[in-house]
Amino acid sequence: MEQDRREFFKTSGLGLLAFSVGGASLLMTAAEARAKNVPLKVLTADEARTLEALGETLHAGAGEAGLVHFIDQQLSIEPDDCMSLVKYFVNDPPFVDFYRAGVSSLNAYSKARFRLFFADLKGSDRVELVKSIVRDNPKEWPFPPPAPLFYMVLRNDTTDVLYGTIDGFRRLGVPYMPHIVPPEMW
Amino acid sequence: MQYDEEVDVVIVGSGAAGSVFAAKLAQFGKRVTVLESGPAWTENDLYSSPMWARRLRGASPQLDEKGKHHIYARLNSGRGTGGAALHHYAVWPRFQVEDFKRKSLTGTGLDWPIEYNDLRPAYDAVQEEVGISGDAKAEVWRPPGAPYPLPPLHVFKQGEKIASGFERLELRVSPIPIAVLSRPYHGRNACVYDGWCDAGCPIGALANPLAIYLAEATKNGALVQADSHVTRILMDKSGKRATGVEYKDKGNETRIQPAKVVIVAASTVETIRTLLNSTTEQHPTGLGNSSGLLGHYLMAHPAVVAYGLFDEDIQNYLGASGGQLYSQDKTAKAEKAHAARGRRHWEIALALKPVDIQGLAISRPELFGSDLEQFMQRAARGLAAMTALSEDEPIKGNRIVLSSKKDKYGMRLAEVHYNISPNGLALYEQSKKDGAQIYQAAGAKETWTGPLHAQHIAGGTIMGSDPKQSVTDAFGRLHDVANVIIGGGSVFTTLSHANSTYTIHAIAWRSSKYLADNWSGITK
Repeated sequence: MEQDRREFFKTSGLGLLAFSVGGASLLMTAAEARAKNVPLKVLTADEARTLEALGETLHAGAGEAGLVHFIDQQLSIEPDDCMSLVKYFVNDPPFVDFYRAGVSSLNAYSKARFRLFFADLKGSDRVELVKSIVRDNPKEWPFPPPAPLFYMVLRNDTTDVLYGTIDGFRRLGVPYMPHIVPPEMW
Repeated sequence: MQYDEEVDVVIVGSGAAGSVFAAKLAQFGKRVTVLESGPAWTENDLYSSPMWARRLRGASPQLDEKGKHHIYARLNSGRGTGGAALHHYAVWPRFQVEDFKRKSLTGTGLDWPIEYNDLRPAYDAVQEEVGISGDAKAEVWRPPGAPYPLPPLHVFKQGEKIASGFERLELRVSPIPIAVLSRPYHGRNACVYDGWCDAGCPIGALANPLAIYLAEATKNGALVQADSHVTRILMDKSGKRATGVEYKDKGNETRIQPAKVVIVAASTVETIRTLLNSTTEQHPTGLGNSSGLLGHYLMAHPAVVAYGLFDEDIQNYLGASGGQLYSQDKTAKAEKAHAARGRRHWEIALALKPVDIQGLAISRPELFGSDLEQFMQRAARGLAAMTALSEDEPIKGNRIVLSSKKDKYGMRLAEVHYNISPNGLALYEQSKKDGAQIYQAAGAKETWTGPLHAQHIAGGTIMGSDPKQSVTDAFGRLHDVANVIIGGGSVFTTLSHANSTYTIHAIAWRSSKYLADNWSGITK
């Protein structure tokens, strides 16, 4: 079962997005972009590392499915066109500020609790940390966005990547029944 | 700065109200231009995808929110032609007789300057034009009106399952009154029950403006101009008459659209913001604000989704997003607790997708890791959902004012002060308890509720007979400026438990007819 799930995440992803590689715009899935190490447009390597670790904690397979490249791509386009749920819950674009501040706070909180950055924690410590921010804003969480809001947005991005596509529906046994299939380019 | 050719009517916004005004006034022979802030959508843009659907809502309005409760402005707004009505779920109950006389009947709230019977012909006419599915007889709470033109939508397993809980508690349910076609109607297709309402309905089964009134407006000669963001209403030197609007075009150039009549129907928040930003020497605190009440009496429906998890496959992916069944009955406990304090209703058996605001995943936001995966597998087969909408009371202190922050055009943003009324909160709390009881009666293995949220923002340019106590008259016309008319939920004097869009249509329909019938008086 685990093998099937891993295979699924490698081959499904979000449909194709436009990624800039060596000055050319190429279409590939977020998962492919991750596998090919396509440069990120907005997020730094450290931010990407933290977000991937958080995504994997929220749902195993999110990293392979290209969560970080999905977020990066959504942050690189006009806020009005952004397809992350962040658009509904965060008042002031650009939304990269939200992710950037959230990552910083998560790492500061992780350092305060375990003396390590979040991505360097062992699995059980990551889970413990995430459990503590689901509903509450811990006193060691230094600055906005509030921890539960950051958790909620990242969790939604994760479920979007894993369950929001035609393949994601199929995996749950939910008929997709489209009127108009989403276009290839995101 | 460039000047466009003068038109009879310029309409700010192309959503529920703006599209009706455009269609009707163009039909009455008026030269109409609609200025829409967002992009021009066509049916071909309405991709069946929970993520792509989010393009129909923008990253605006940007708000400063100061109150205890959020109004969820972006969830309740639209972006582009069709506005919020392009992605709305089309649950269309009528406001009730008592909603228009709340203060007279209960001593609290406000009275409208019109009665239900004033609006009834418009409800009937819109219903005939749009096509509503339902069963007027079974919907025992419905006020008088013509029977629905279409039979009810089909009820699937999820609906049957939840209905069994209502039945065991001796609560009545009826088919949901919904502006989704159960049969082909006026050349439009019937619903195929795939639950893509939130993504916009490209087959025209759901009453969105692209399918009906914007199409009619264009056919009747109206110009619908997208990417045109109105920044202010322009006035003559006397301050008594509007002369048109100022807007930014797609290239961010400032343009003037002169018009004999200005209709502002840009969503509650943006309508109020536009009026507040339209200051002149004679209107120093905003246009239409001589009462000091512009922006006040802001309202929204306190809403909650109740969930039940069943073991069997209840086919929760089938149906319309707005639901299959409807009820205004309350449990005995709730009736006792709130008989005198307002109404609410249930929209029963919502079609669900795996993700998004009405998705399986968001129903249990605290789950992550393997718990989330396990839940998703169970929920895909057995999750049931129904929404409770409650009345909100008009409270003067709930208001929109201008923020010190500015948008990209240099216009001040809206600052929102909103606290749900105590009675609205009490109804919400009781809905949570009722929801659990109903699911338990239906045999659900688990039951829970989502968070309190706000649907359908209203008020702020309330109608009234007294210019000192209200902003607009019985037709949505500013008391202070004869040729400026407001469309949309901002003119509501009270907020019934009933969803807003049908009443927005009906008021716009009635006001259009009034405007056409009294054109020379209004424009002289």
